[in-house]
Amino acid sequence: MDGGSLFDILGPVMIGPSSSHTAGAVRLSMLAKNVAGQPIKAVVFKLYNSFAKTYQGHGTDRGLVAGLLGLNVDDDRVPEAFERARQQGLVFSFEPQPNQPSYPPNTVLFDMTLEDGEQLQVLGHSLGGGKVYISRINEYKVSLQGEYPTLVMFYHDEPGMIWQTTRIIAEAGINIASLVCARKHKGEEAFMAICLDHLLDPESVQAIAQIGNVYAVRNVDKIV
Amino acid sequence: MSNEIDKTFFKQLKSFAQALDWCEANHQPLSALAMAYEMHRRGVDEAAILAQTQTLIDQMRATVRAGSADASPTLSGLTGQLASKMMAAASAPCRLMSPTMLKMMAYALATLEENSRMHRIVACPTAGASGVVPGVLLALSESPDVALSDAQMQRGLLTAGLVGELVSRRMFLSGAAGGCQAEVGVATGMAAAAIVEVLGGTPRQVMDATAMAFKNLMGLVCDPVAGLVEVPCTKRNAVGVVHASAAATMALAGIESFVPLDEVVDAMVKVGQMMSPKLKESAEGGLAMTPTGQAFTQQLKAKGNVHSPESE
Ligand code: SF4
Repeated sequence: MDGGSLFDILGPVMIGPSSSHTAGAVRLSMLAKNVAGQPIKAVVFKLYNSFAKTYQGHGTDRGLVAGLLGLNVDDDRVPEAFERARQQGLVFSFEPQPNQPSYPPNTVLFDMTLEDGEQLQVLGHSLGGGKVYISRINEYKVSLQGEYPTLVMFYHDEPGMIWQTTRIIAEAGINIASLVCARKHKGEEAFMAICLDHLLDPESVQAIAQIGNVYAVRNVDKIV
Repeated sequence: MSNEIDKTFFKQLKSFAQALDWCEANHQPLSALAMAYEMHRRGVDEAAILAQTQTLIDQMRATVRAGSADASPTLSGLTGQLASKMMAAASAPCRLMSPTMLKMMAYALATLEENSRMHRIVACPTAGASGVVPGVLLALSESPDVALSDAQMQRGLLTAGLVGELVSRRMFLSGAAGGCQAEVGVATGMAAAAIVEVLGGTPRQVMDATAMAFKNLMGLVCDPVAGLVEVPCTKRNAVGVVHASAAATMALAGIESFVPLDEVVDAMVKVGQMMSPKLKESAEGGLAMTPTGQAFTQQLKAKGNVHSPESE
């Protein structure tokens, strides 16, 4: 394992009672909110494994709602997340699911309805100590940790896709921290995640979405 | 050491043996290595790191203040009065332990009770083990004999952080991954290291204290009743401060660990892997499965949980 910051061990400052079940839940929701990129009207939290068993006692439920409302892990208002959600008109419910051994212990599927009516599903995991990642957006496999603003795109694998995309990013004057591509087979559906130093502007995102063969683009901000 | 050599060193820093070599070669305490490591890791200056450390100390103090003045029940109702009882005991003469030790215990309890009230705490390294390091440092800062300054507490905290960091390279610090030895166990090693550092022990003594703390909680199971971070976690933190103090006291008395710290950590990793999943945060073993633990779990289920959406 790589060396991390000492402040991954010391901290975070957080609302209790559990770093993986409460703080992790808040951070996961913050990241899911960033994937949505627009207001969320309704959400069903489908809970798996340890999340399904102990979500109430650990305040995982409140944490999940709090993150979607934009409250951070150390916000005093996390315990009142349900009341705040109702005031703000966010409809939410929890559905514990049967055990799913292929998923990590703390897993939740966000089944969201966004303001423009879009249905969005995000599968996320809490790894302990507040570390989280998202492994699926709708039917697409991804790997998102929220450390960098990230442009996520799904496209039909064809020569020149990386070049066309990175050119638009370069024109926007934004530095690329890292780039990951994955595809099942040559010439099939592929996935690209580009970690950036800054969040890309909407016009550039639009331009990338209009490249031929691009199915979907998500401009996901980092979580702080 | 030149900057370049430093860079390579921090990149390759993995073992406690390497850390000790650096401290001895440079005649520096472990907190200096922790500071240098963090500066290189993040490219920020000393002042920024000290400020961040101070923020944590301030929050730890606020949590302990709030927790020791509050006797209201936690969300589950399982605890809530432990810290106030211990605070009362700490203000009366005790025939067994020093007032500082009693305060350490009270502060550890106060932190965990705040955690179970869904109030603000500092995870260290996790929320379930968040009482041990603040407990020892804050009580030492208030002890008339020691009277740690905030600057000394910062050094203690950085030392604790480096210990936790080096362990976390080899095992995930969560009860689900490694049992409670990875949470309260690791916290006691971090606290023992911090105590030796702030009381002026050598880096070697820091290592010995940490090793002795780890050795004697190796294999500690994670068995929370009803899956809540509360029983046994809250009291386990209070026992943790005593355990850390015992290990630190032995090291400061010149007692060495027979098995070196790196080997102790490797052994912990292996023990964690050998432990049944039932003893790793699944609430399917240990205290969680006792008749009392089970009865409470059933009661909680029957009530619908105290903070389930239905109950509102
Ligand atoms: S028993 Fe489990 S939940 Fe409680 S502090 Fe230890 S590791 Fe954490």
